[in-house]
Amino acid sequence: MEIIASSLAAGLLFGMVLALVALGLTIIFGVMDIINFAHGEFLMIGMYTALLTAQALGIDPLLTLPLAALVGFLLGVACYKGFISYILRGPMIAQLLGTFGLMLLLRNIALLVFGSEDRAVHQGLLVNKSFDIGLGIIIPATKLAGAGLSVVAFVAVWLLMHKTRMGKALTATALNPQGARYMGISTEKMNALAWGIGAGTVTMAGALIVNFWPVNPYVGLLFTMIAFTIVALGGFGSVPGAFFAALVVGLITEIPGFWDFLTYTLEWDWMFDVPMTSFKYMWIYVAYFIIMVVRPRGLFGWKH
Amino acid sequence: MEALKNAFDFSDQPRLDMTIAGAVGTLFLIFPLLPLSAFALATMIQFFIFSLYGMGWNTIGGYGGQVDLGKAQYVGIGAYTTAVLLIRWDIPFWFSMPIGVVFAVTWSFIIGYPLFRLKGHYFAIATIATSLVLKDLFEVWEFVGAARGLEISPIEYVPPDFLRLIFKEDIYYYYVIFVFFLAGLLFLNWFRKSRLGYQLRAIKDNEDVARSLGINVHWAKIKTYAIATAYVSVVGSFHACYIKAIEPEDTMSLDISILIALMAMLGGAGSLWGPIIGAGILIPLKSYLKEWLGGMSGLAGMDLILYAVIIMVISAKEPRGVWGIVERIRRRKRT
Repeated sequence: MEIIASSLAAGLLFGMVLALVALGLTIIFGVMDIINFAHGEFLMIGMYTALLTAQALGIDPLLTLPLAALVGFLLGVACYKGFISYILRGPMIAQLLGTFGLMLLLRNIALLVFGSEDRAVHQGLLVNKSFDIGLGIIIPATKLAGAGLSVVAFVAVWLLMHKTRMGKALTATALNPQGARYMGISTEKMNALAWGIGAGTVTMAGALIVNFWPVNPYVGLLFTMIAFTIVALGGFGSVPGAFFAALVVGLITEIPGFWDFLTYTLEWDWMFDVPMTSFKYMWIYVAYFIIMVVRPRGLFGWKH
Repeated sequence: MEALKNAFDFSDQPRLDMTIAGAVGTLFLIFPLLPLSAFALATMIQFFIFSLYGMGWNTIGGYGGQVDLGKAQYVGIGAYTTAVLLIRWDIPFWFSMPIGVVFAVTWSFIIGYPLFRLKGHYFAIATIATSLVLKDLFEVWEFVGAARGLEISPIEYVPPDFLRLIFKEDIYYYYVIFVFFLAGLLFLNWFRKSRLGYQLRAIKDNEDVARSLGINVHWAKIKTYAIATAYVSVVGSFHACYIKAIEPEDTMSLDISILIALMAMLGGAGSLWGPIIGAGILIPLKSYLKEWLGGMSGLAGMDLILYAVIIMVISAKEPRGVWGIVERIRRRKRT
């Protein structure tokens, strides 16, 4: 019983962080129909920003969130102005490979600057502390704080998109770019804004994740694929969809560990050779494939 | 017979192209005899390998317009089939290669059927997902050596072994892959003029119109996907015998899939010479960049940074590739 409860809790908490990771991707896709391979690389940059600032100033990584968001916003706008706006008109393959090139560029610059070794947060207000909330559920404080702050950031962005004038203009651009242009909305500005918000949220997520996940220049691809899966499940371009899909994906990442625990307790010897946790993330790709084939629009999708 | 005649018929190509192709072909034929380094020869073999991958990709991605970013999984299937059969049961290359093709094509049908219900971005990411699933499986599958991979030890065989394709000198490999290259080119030449080739171009231009003309769009795509798969799998088998040490990370990684698509785009997707031109530019560039910059300490990843910049510039400035430029110049001359 306890294992089920703690698996559920861990999966949901991780899912909440993942929601913030996927938010940027779904906004960018919704506004301009472009798949961003460099998404995980933005996350990696957010992780390094938080880690290095925290180490240099001697403060807790959680306090560096605004800085990470700012770095991400500027990076996103710079990427859009300097590169993405040029490939938007090209054929789809040029867009895919172009953002892949961006990913390679960011990854290898990080490799050149930071080196290839793993780095992790060793000290902080919350590191190595945990709460026991009964039922045998023990939650690391870093994950709880990460999940909580993710939800706060997520709701803030959602409010920004639905309650402010600027956010409404952004939504209008997503729904119909040409119509939005006739209404006097500068779609070029909106695209840049979408990249700014998209990259800013994901670097923030990176600053949260670095508290419990070591960072190296290659960390991005896994999160890019996770974000693709979430966005596909939630429906491309859907913000609430991304949140619920992220919870589902968070739970999927916990299934293999739970399964292994089950095989050990029930002594199913034939399963011992290949523990499920050794292909923990494969199930995310499998989930993506099944979702796309069975329901291409996703759960809440409005773009197809 | 008709098909064979069609394969050798290049008469619809401009004479200038054929002259250049003939000259370059002759150069390829005498290349190993030129006094060049072993590194140059190895780079040439890589060029042939990747231009064959690119030709395979070009059938579905270029003529058909379906952006496939999961070709590396078939490289893996081909390479692993050959390596496993050779190491475990001593089955020579010429028998294991067709078996590998059968495996790869079967797998392509299994995943191709659901895959081709998707379009555009969704299709591209789904192909990545399937490729990564297969890679993850191979990384834990003990029978094929898990993450360590497999190694064909050349000591057990007496080189030159033409049956098992185990040689000491690269020059043998060079001519074997050169023959494959010519065969692949002839097949592609036949393919683009075949019924399926025309159907595919109709699908690329407008899928709904193609369907209304009575083309079974879904099935045409699956068939072409299988052809592309066969190309990649055959060369994957060759790759196993040539490299002799294969592991999931360098036969099935996403980077390989992307490189294949990138080369075709750089040369010009959907043209006969495109993938070859693309490979001819990218492969030497990549291996010499790595040779010059990769070894320098403190500059780790510098070669890949330059490579990334090149990708970005191409996709922003010239997404139709080198062949697009050539065609534009020709059109201007005609008017």
